[in-house]
Amino acid sequence: MPPNERAEKQAAAQQAVDILHEIATILNCHLDRRTLSICISMIENGVNPEALANVIKELRKHGQEAQLEAAAAASSRRR
Amino acid sequence: MAHLAQLRALIDELVAAVTSIPETQHERRDACREYVLRSLRHHTFTRTNQFEVQDRLNGLEERFCVVGRDALGEALRKRLDALEPHRTQTTPEVLHLLLELADQPVQKSKLSD
Repeated sequence: MPPNERAEKQAAAQQAVDILHEIATILNCHLDRRTLSICISMIENGVNPEALANVIKELRKHGQEAQLEAAAAASSRRR
Repeated sequence: MAHLAQLRALIDELVAAVTSIPETQHERRDACREYVLRSLRHHTFTRTNQFEVQDRLNGLEERFCVVGRDALGEALRKRLDALEPHRTQTTPEVLHLLLELADQPVQKSKLSD
């Protein structure tokens, strides 16, 4: 693919991600641009969107637990 | 579904982005990665119905207007229209994901965001 054409395609893809990110914000999805880009790549690679949504919700819970544990460990070290 | 190595690479990125689990908790990170891989490969969800996705988005736009949040409804319509020229085969699936992750947008969304 010629460099110009590649650059144009990349710019169009970026624009699509920007619009999707704005839609995600309107829907209050709590998704940053980087995470959304990863999700789009996963879906383009055949991942089921509903399964992915469930996984993200579960990962958010795991992340919160890990951060609470890390904070508790840090405060017990300070004592 | 993607080649396993490619999928694993994307899962690593997803786990890092969503959980922010520190590198020191590598066992927890590994457990998360395995959980994600299992869940994505063995699920019982059906394929996305693009017409249902469209209906849900139209319904949401209408609800924004019904509760007096017309500006949000208009903002959503404007983005959906702007997305049209960029539409690909997977666009309905990405929109499906966003609908599944939506967190009470009618009550909580702010136009200023």
